[in-house]
Amino acid sequence: MTDAGATPGFFAQVMTIVRRDLLRERRSGEVLWVTLPFGAIALLLVPLAIGTDAPTLQRIGPGMFWVIVMLFGVLIAIRQTSAETQAQRDMVALTGLDPAAIFVGRSTASFLLLVVFQTVLGAVTIVLYNVTPTGWAVLPVVLLLAASGLALLGTLAASIVSTGRSATALVPLLVAPLSVPLLLGATQALEAIRLGRSSLVWVLLMATVGLLLAVAGILSARPLQETA
Amino acid sequence: MTSTQHRTTVWPWIVMAVAGLHTFVASMTVSPDVVQGQLSRIMYVHVPAAWLAYLAFGVTMFASAMYLWKKDFRWDRRALASAEIGVLFTALAIGLGMIWAKPTWGVWWTWDARLTLTSIMFFVYLGYLALRRTTDNLDVRAARSAIFGVLAVVQVPLVHFSVIWWRTLHQPPTLLNPEGPAMDTAMVITLLIAVASFTVIYVAMMFKRIELARLEDEVLVADQTSSGPVAGQAVTAPGLTKGS
Amino acid sequence: MSGSTTLVDLEKVSVRAGAVRILEDVSLTVHPGDAVGVFGANGAGKTTLLRLIATLQPPAGGRCSVFGADMYAADRFDIRRRIGYIGHTPGLYPELTLLENLAFVADAHGLPESEARRALELVGLSGAADRRTDHSSHGMQRRTEFARVLMTGPDLLLLDEPHSALDADAVDLVDELVHRTVERGGAAVLVSHDRDRVNSLATRTHEIKDGTLL
Repeated sequence: MTDAGATPGFFAQVMTIVRRDLLRERRSGEVLWVTLPFGAIALLLVPLAIGTDAPTLQRIGPGMFWVIVMLFGVLIAIRQTSAETQAQRDMVALTGLDPAAIFVGRSTASFLLLVVFQTVLGAVTIVLYNVTPTGWAVLPVVLLLAASGLALLGTLAASIVSTGRSATALVPLLVAPLSVPLLLGATQALEAIRLGRSSLVWVLLMATVGLLLAVAGILSARPLQETA
Repeated sequence: MTSTQHRTTVWPWIVMAVAGLHTFVASMTVSPDVVQGQLSRIMYVHVPAAWLAYLAFGVTMFASAMYLWKKDFRWDRRALASAEIGVLFTALAIGLGMIWAKPTWGVWWTWDARLTLTSIMFFVYLGYLALRRTTDNLDVRAARSAIFGVLAVVQVPLVHFSVIWWRTLHQPPTLLNPEGPAMDTAMVITLLIAVASFTVIYVAMMFKRIELARLEDEVLVADQTSSGPVAGQAVTAPGLTKGS
Repeated sequence: MSGSTTLVDLEKVSVRAGAVRILEDVSLTVHPGDAVGVFGANGAGKTTLLRLIATLQPPAGGRCSVFGADMYAADRFDIRRRIGYIGHTPGLYPELTLLENLAFVADAHGLPESEARRALELVGLSGAADRRTDHSSHGMQRRTEFARVLMTGPDLLLLDEPHSALDADAVDLVDELVHRTVERGGAAVLVSHDRDRVNSLATRTHEIKDGTLL
């Protein structure tokens, strides 16, 4: 008797969340006007502190890029968590959206924002550190795997902490140690290419991390919503 | 606050004292290493502490999974107790390792795979304990920390492999094998005694900490119920590593 | 109406928040066509009762089913789209416009955006559709919440203090919402401390005191 339409399928539910998150980002501009400039200034500060000679910068450039992406990228994944009110959570819960679809949708939106974040910071690194990117075939794969892994990890950690006290400070602490395989995978895959070795094992490691996080996030989505 | 009747168990204290004294005597009476001299005695605390760091981590993760399965608060308290004891021994193992490394290798820190992994684990532990402090709702706290505990189980092996691959690809592990020739039999036996004693100490500490956790939960419940409904923010969570 | 003829069936239900008992031994049955009013002072457990029925607050004990679905079962979110709940603070995203907020809910229900526009018209907000929520008055936000419920047409309407902070026109909206839902074979539960208004709407009323329904 409800005059509502048919229950949307899983993918449609995911897209509902993606559209909402991207629209909220477009309106608030938090990633574009706050997190991104923050990451860029961090890349600018490092040479000021450790010295500006060209060979040093060239050597540390890629590593700095990945560290900044990992540490600041978490902020993208948790951007809405701390500000969310009980009333908003109730409203979303009562839309009847599958919590697993919500998790996938949030992760997807964060993934897309992280790709933008990486692209801009990558350009900044190339300019400031005079880095020449290597491995044009593998580089995009590594970037996408790092973005998806970090998006999943950040979204999962954010939903675990959710309503607790000091959520914004805690999530990065939870995420940072667990992001080590992503950090090592990304840096070592590109290092392997530079040295003319196979980067396959590192790419596979990153893919495994992403897969396990996706499974963990989907399986824990319902119990986490129920204990909100 | 209601004072709940309870009997304080004394035996864990006695066990801890006896096992601690035992380790101390054994490690002080064994003859020092030919090459390293008195410095080698650090090993009798460092190695068992590192063993406990890993054991306690494993127990926390196992107890987390058990809580999710059984929804029994006893598993939640076991996970908490093991995590706090784990933090203590992880810090002890890292600290003693540094004290030993400075005179031996000339540096406080080295990027050995095991050392890196242990330090990462230390932060996973801290995150787990910090997560527990974000709410006073016992159900929410237990469920969320257990889910994080299980997530850590999934991730830590990957951290482990990535760190090991990272090291073996770039640095020969022999560089970090300080013992050189095989150890003296007396030293091996002393080390085994120390590991056994420390394990006993861990079990005794677990008993005390679980007992304390149960009392803490009771106080929390009493606080929340005595003054009528209390908003979550009004009660401050207890400190990180008190009591153990 | 699908399923059983009882929409809400609570029997000796208790609710805890951490260690605090908020509801104790609450029994309540709601049938199609019912408009149930629940009165009580602040902190009596009114909101918790409503959130319990809305499946937002898990029960700690007792028998509890909504639309015939056991509330202890894991997949209770399936019935949630049949529930219309309006809490006392609006659950809207401040950076989105009123229309965008409604369009999100429409999307989640598989409805086109035109439904969201139509609902805003019904509550007299068509002129403010593109206004950001944080630039809208509290009254406008309340109306947007009513529009959401009008749009999704729930079988079970749950209203928390529906008459607070409303002008005369909006009060009529509450009445219309309740009548619409009940006429279509649904039911409504209203919690309030405003007896006069709710008495004129309700088919029966209860009193809630210290977490117990009288």
